[in-house]
Amino acid sequence: MRNEARLGAVCRAMLLALACVLSLAPAAAAQEKIKVVATFSILADLVRNVGGDRVDVISLVGPNGDAHVYTPTPADARLVGAARLVVVNGLGFEGWISRLVTVSNSKAAVMVASRNVKARRDGGGHGHGHDDDPHAWQSVPNVMTYVANIRDALTAADPAGKAVYEANAAAYRDKLAALDAEIRAAVAQIPPERRRVITSHDSFGYFADTYGVAFVAPRGVSTEAQASARDVARIITQVKQQNIPAVFLENITDQRMMQRIAEETGARIGGGLISDALTDGAGVAPTYVDLMRHNVKQLAAALAK
Amino acid sequence: MSAVLEFRNLTLGYDRHPAVHHLNGKVDAGALLAVVGPNGAGKSTLFKGILGLIPPLSGGIDLAGLRQRDIAYLPQAADIDRSFPISLYDLVAMGLWRNAGLFGSISRADRTRIETALEAVGLTGFEQRAIGTLSPGQMQRVLFARLLLQDARMIVLDEPFNAVDAKTVSDLVALVQRWHGEKRTVIAALHDLDLVRNTFPDALLLAREPVAWGATQTVLTAENLLKARRMCEAFDEHADACRVDAA
Amino acid sequence: MFYDALIGPFAEFEFMRRALAGVVALAFGAGPVGVLLMLRRMSLMGDAMAHAILPGAALGFMVAGFNLFAMTLGGFIAGIVVAVLAGLVARTTQLREDASLAAFFIVSLALGVTLVSVRGTNVDLMHFLFGNVLALDNATLMLVAAITTISLLVFAVIWRPLVMECVDPAFLRTVSRAGGPVHMAFLALVVLNLVAGFQALGTLLSVGLMMLPAVAMRFWARDIAGMVGGAIAIAVASGLAGLLLSFHANLPAGPAIILVAGAFCLGSILLGRVGGYASRLIPRTHLEG
Repeated sequence: MRNEARLGAVCRAMLLALACVLSLAPAAAAQEKIKVVATFSILADLVRNVGGDRVDVISLVGPNGDAHVYTPTPADARLVGAARLVVVNGLGFEGWISRLVTVSNSKAAVMVASRNVKARRDGGGHGHGHDDDPHAWQSVPNVMTYVANIRDALTAADPAGKAVYEANAAAYRDKLAALDAEIRAAVAQIPPERRRVITSHDSFGYFADTYGVAFVAPRGVSTEAQASARDVARIITQVKQQNIPAVFLENITDQRMMQRIAEETGARIGGGLISDALTDGAGVAPTYVDLMRHNVKQLAAALAK
Repeated sequence: MSAVLEFRNLTLGYDRHPAVHHLNGKVDAGALLAVVGPNGAGKSTLFKGILGLIPPLSGGIDLAGLRQRDIAYLPQAADIDRSFPISLYDLVAMGLWRNAGLFGSISRADRTRIETALEAVGLTGFEQRAIGTLSPGQMQRVLFARLLLQDARMIVLDEPFNAVDAKTVSDLVALVQRWHGEKRTVIAALHDLDLVRNTFPDALLLAREPVAWGATQTVLTAENLLKARRMCEAFDEHADACRVDAA
Repeated sequence: MFYDALIGPFAEFEFMRRALAGVVALAFGAGPVGVLLMLRRMSLMGDAMAHAILPGAALGFMVAGFNLFAMTLGGFIAGIVVAVLAGLVARTTQLREDASLAAFFIVSLALGVTLVSVRGTNVDLMHFLFGNVLALDNATLMLVAAITTISLLVFAVIWRPLVMECVDPAFLRTVSRAGGPVHMAFLALVVLNLVAGFQALGTLLSVGLMMLPAVAMRFWARDIAGMVGGAIAIAVASGLAGLLLSFHANLPAGPAIILVAGAFCLGSILLGRVGGYASRLIPRTHLEG
């Protein structure tokens, strides 16, 4: 009789211990988030959407930052060194990342988000100095590919979270599909002959290809500091001849020159288009979806009859 | 005769060293006064004091109702920028500044006055010459023409005939006499004692301190001239404060 | 073809007409100022003051962006302050005016560039340094026109004492007490015209439109009125030719204008009738009397 009672107590104790261990395990796993470093804010947003609570994402180039001219700091090297996964855009966008990874001696996996994305050739006059246009995120279908790539990379780095990543990615894909439909509907509202704009930063090529709005970049006026009269005359002629209805300003460029051109051609001056980075929390485009919505809204407003 | 200028225990100088020391006296209106003395005697300094260009170290100068603009002044070395692209005519025309003022354009009457002045100094036909092309004698004539136009009640000339040819000197002396005839007060610093004896009724012999002042022949005696020459030219670097003032 | 090359660009494009209007207005103000600066041996001071304007305009920019009023006011104040300070230092210390000015303007330039770089972009900085003559809006054109008008009016008033002050300052001092105020008024006009030129040509080039035509005319005119008229004409011609060069040869507009002015200058030194090299090397027979 006494032996049975002792065995029962031991069994209960063991069950209790097992229960404790089992309950602790997921807690332990939950405390350890996967450290991911994304090169810039748009990628960081995508990673957050796919990774959810399982990841701790840092963006090297912060909101409103310019990844083209970014120079990494020692703090960045530390971050990369501590990361499990580094997400880069690729297509020559971040010329500085490979060196940073080498310097930081990181054991992280480096993943190129734009893998399998059909790259378009850069139109020239952009100043990047390479052949592929890196701004693939301007087309929502491309971003769907990005998301799939990110999901796969996260799963590879953290197999335990596979179900979570797949679920998040699928949910986000739905959001993106809805966004894509939204954009197409908005563009459809614009009369076909009015679907072209001038903007100084040549980063909307993918948007143009996917959604059918032409982005004409004025050559020499924006990133170049000193315009010549011929450059300005050329743009004005172009706007007049091609009946381009709107001109878009951007922080990088010379606003007064844009205003002059708009006034002389009768084109509308549109609100700023955002191309390369999210805004901070207080701005109009804190997430990727917000960014695309903002741009489409501006375009639609400027190009409406 | 009323005094147009009075010096009261006047001391003028630079950096506390006196260049004119305790000068007292009166200049009557319409006087033709020569100021003579060795180099460094304080003649130029005295003129600058009269014009109000430097303040007295002690004592004072009374200008009986004369304002600075009623006095025409010819400094010893005219600090004129000869390379400036201005014509002789325009330089002379500056003398009319009081009439024309800041705004005024030159009226026909003014033009006539300018031409008359140029004639008086023998420079008719020189109107468009650039001032950089003039000889020293011609330059002095130009400056005298300007003085003529200033139409001033008192004219102060600091060594006007240095380095000027004899013909110019005699022509300009005639002008001085004309001014005297017009009852203007003329004070001139001169080196040429013969000229002074021939032309100037009054003289002041200055050797930092006044040596003699009065009718020319009583002033320009050998004895006075000797006294003046003995005046020390240099400032005394170890001088004490002047005791005459304290008295 | 003549029409296409010379008149066409201006007929067809409004921005070209505006640029030309701006430069013409500047020429009328800068002409007399430049001639007097040169004759008073103050040419480098003009350059120094142009740079001194930069930190003031930069401060205005930091406070209010590309706000014309803020930048103009800031630039004007900075210019006057440097002119006065430099003069003060020159008068009260053993430093002569040229060294004192050099010190001030180098510091001003560095300060100005720093301020602009903190708040603005590279493009902004380039506009501060080289101007933006192709983007003159209505407010800027009106500002330039207003400044030129004020400048000409003030000159009409102070012309005679100003000339007197150059030629025979001692005389002026004995007949009037206007010498000091006239000098200050002239300095204010210099700063004002530089501030006007700043928007179109930037801090590094605005003094060029002032000085280069004046220097060129030194070799053609013997009287000051001729110099002033000629300087204005050369400035206008430089603007015209510079804009056409920018249009046809694809050169940046502001520097093109100044290069043309420089060419006029060089040509005058070589070929001018009054003291140019050619006139010295190829003597003409003297006259009878």
